[in-house]
Amino acid sequence: MSISNDIEFRDALNGLDLAQQREVGALFVESVLSLSSDPRVTQAVNAAKDGALEEEAMNLVRHSIKVAALHAHTRCGADGEWNDQAGYFVARAAEACVEPEGRSQGKGPAWKAAMSARMACTCLAAEGDEDSHDSESQTQYQILTSYLDA
Amino acid sequence: MDANELLSWARGPGFDIALTIFVAGMLLRLLEILALGKKPDLSPPRGSGPKGGAATIMTRMLPRKQVFDKEPLRIINGYVLHIGFFIVLFLYGPHIVLFESFLGFGWPALPSGVIDAVGAITIVSLVAALVLRLNNKVLRFLSSRDDYVAWVVTLLPVLTGYLAYNHLVAPYTMMLALHLLSVELLLVVAPFTKLTHMFSFAMARWYQGYQAGRRGVES
Amino acid sequence: MSAPSVEKGIQAIKAQIDAPVASFFSACVHCGLCAEACLFYTETGDPKYTPINKVEPMRRIWEKEYTLFGKAKAAFGMSKAVDEETFAEWETLVYDGCSLCGRCSLVCPVGNDISGMIRKIREGFAAAGHAPEGLIGASTRAVEIGSPMGVKLPAVQAQIKHLRKNTGLDVPIDAKGAEYLVLLSSMEIMNFPEYLEAIARIMYQAGKTWTIASKAFEATNSGVQIGVSDIAKLLVSRVVDAADELGVKTVISPECGHAFTAIRWDGANLIGREYGFEVKHILEVLDEFVSQGLIKTEGKEDAKLTYHDPCQIARKGGVVKQPRNLLNKIATNFVEMEDGGVMNWCCSGGGGVSANERADELKLTAFNRKKSQLQALGVDTLVTACANCRLTLEEGLEENEMDLPVVGLTEMLAEYLVEEKPIEEAKEEA
Repeated sequence: MSISNDIEFRDALNGLDLAQQREVGALFVESVLSLSSDPRVTQAVNAAKDGALEEEAMNLVRHSIKVAALHAHTRCGADGEWNDQAGYFVARAAEACVEPEGRSQGKGPAWKAAMSARMACTCLAAEGDEDSHDSESQTQYQILTSYLDA
Repeated sequence: MDANELLSWARGPGFDIALTIFVAGMLLRLLEILALGKKPDLSPPRGSGPKGGAATIMTRMLPRKQVFDKEPLRIINGYVLHIGFFIVLFLYGPHIVLFESFLGFGWPALPSGVIDAVGAITIVSLVAALVLRLNNKVLRFLSSRDDYVAWVVTLLPVLTGYLAYNHLVAPYTMMLALHLLSVELLLVVAPFTKLTHMFSFAMARWYQGYQAGRRGVES
Repeated sequence: MSAPSVEKGIQAIKAQIDAPVASFFSACVHCGLCAEACLFYTETGDPKYTPINKVEPMRRIWEKEYTLFGKAKAAFGMSKAVDEETFAEWETLVYDGCSLCGRCSLVCPVGNDISGMIRKIREGFAAAGHAPEGLIGASTRAVEIGSPMGVKLPAVQAQIKHLRKNTGLDVPIDAKGAEYLVLLSSMEIMNFPEYLEAIARIMYQAGKTWTIASKAFEATNSGVQIGVSDIAKLLVSRVVDAADELGVKTVISPECGHAFTAIRWDGANLIGREYGFEVKHILEVLDEFVSQGLIKTEGKEDAKLTYHDPCQIARKGGVVKQPRNLLNKIATNFVEMEDGGVMNWCCSGGGGVSANERADELKLTAFNRKKSQLQALGVDTLVTACANCRLTLEEGLEENEMDLPVVGLTEMLAEYLVEEKPIEEAKEEA
């Protein structure tokens, strides 16, 4: 199957169960991992990929990544640094991958992770010339396609 | 000066001087406020300023549940104090006679016995107010000399009136003279203390209510 | 801004005293009830946070300058001074310990608008050089760059470009004759860019013309928070000029509390003339769209949720029913917290408090009020409509180890939006 736009992308994601969404979400985050230097992100990504992780351990990870995301945001009125802000979105993406079931408010964890990962790329485009957002979308389509084919 | 001379003076020149100072003083305070003016509000209104102003004068008569729940005793005591004071001031026969001499008309009085009881309650309420003020962390912090002076000059007329009526402490003539003098003290001091709130409360409520009414927000 | 001084501070405060202020000081009977309405007092137990105490320097100036009795007192050396020490001592009361939430103004028995006075007194503190660093930085950035957080147009353009790629929807820039001019807050642009996407999708479905302005995309008004009317005026003027130039009918203020106060209520008075356009909060607009059938929603959120009223939007803005109308459309289990609505408690971070690092600890203490409200209720989701409230709530919840997600109402509405005009179509048109 081939995915060439977001409608198809989202539909395909919605067809996955929770464990699969977490795995795919983790892959999305890994793709933009270089934009964050927080080890808690990697920890969350690994937890998302580990289908056998106990709920208690998962909760610890959830708490840790939530704190990471919260501390990475830019304070109101502070001098915003877009490159740092990218780290915030990467953390948010990782947070989405491990969120408890039923937290969707209409959006699945994988979709949220994908969107946040793209926003991380947008941050870089805000300041500099580097604009990897569109290529990141394509990368995400490919990641999902490969995952589904496997 | 004996009690009769004192009473004569208090009923005559004393009262005139005090009343003049009271009226002039309050008018001055009022003008000092109004003279500052208020810039017109150019923001697009949602509702009516005057309606909001007038309504707020009435609605703030009652407390919001959220603060009442926190200080029910103190708030209720405040009502007792004010209502008691007004009943004694405006519904006691001899007082009404005095008002009539100024206004040209009077109104029915409550039985003196009732006034007497209300007066006693008011005195207790005033004392309670002081006790509550002294026992409250915020009020101890906020209170200034002004608050205590206002308390004294408000208590004295009610107290001396009660004592005079009940022929206590001093012979009637003297007590009555003291009562009138204490009223004169209140009149003279009032414009220079927070007792100005007797008029400015309506202005404050009006101003805030006006802005709220205009903006269509609650007040 | 010229060099600050105590004298300038006093003059600035003098200039703020008008008939209402005089009537307030004249009517105050020191009943102390305002303290019971203020979360900074209730959670610290420190009487210095009593709202009317926060404006004591202004009272001293009023008495001395504008009352005969006060002048006489001063002549006899009986009035309390307002000097450098006063400004230093009151700075944390006026900025750190007050979010301009307005609850005190609502409960004062004699009708005093105390929070309005605190906003006014900030003019003096700023002029005296006693404003918090965070706010000075934010205001300076707002004036020089156009955003208190240094967000420039290219950043917004990048988000717009990527929005187009993701959704096929366009965000018009400087479109003349559009019906709506949409403002954004830097907090949203930086931390919650989903807001822009939600707006784009909603506007598209509603079939309304809209635009953002390249020269005035920022809604946040740091001038109002720090209390420098000149800055507030400058920032509002940018928006007003853009709105006039583009000939829009309505300016929409985003999910940011003080942005709404600034443009809706303060703006015309700051620039000294009436607007040629309407100003609405995004929630007012959404409520209109829904009630007029311009947008429809489908599906509902089942989680037990409640709504936190941003102070500037509900109590001071009058937008109380609209969020509830909207939530009732998309939630099955919406419960009100105690004191919900007009008397709701501040998140603790409004009025510049969250931009003031020095106030962090005090803010977290004050947050205990909101924490009590939430703990008593027991919900799974907290909805609000102000980016600043959102982050303040998230931080407070995290600090208290409460696992409760916070979501923005506009974003949430967009999730349940019926997209009858398929975006696929838009993609092809694009």
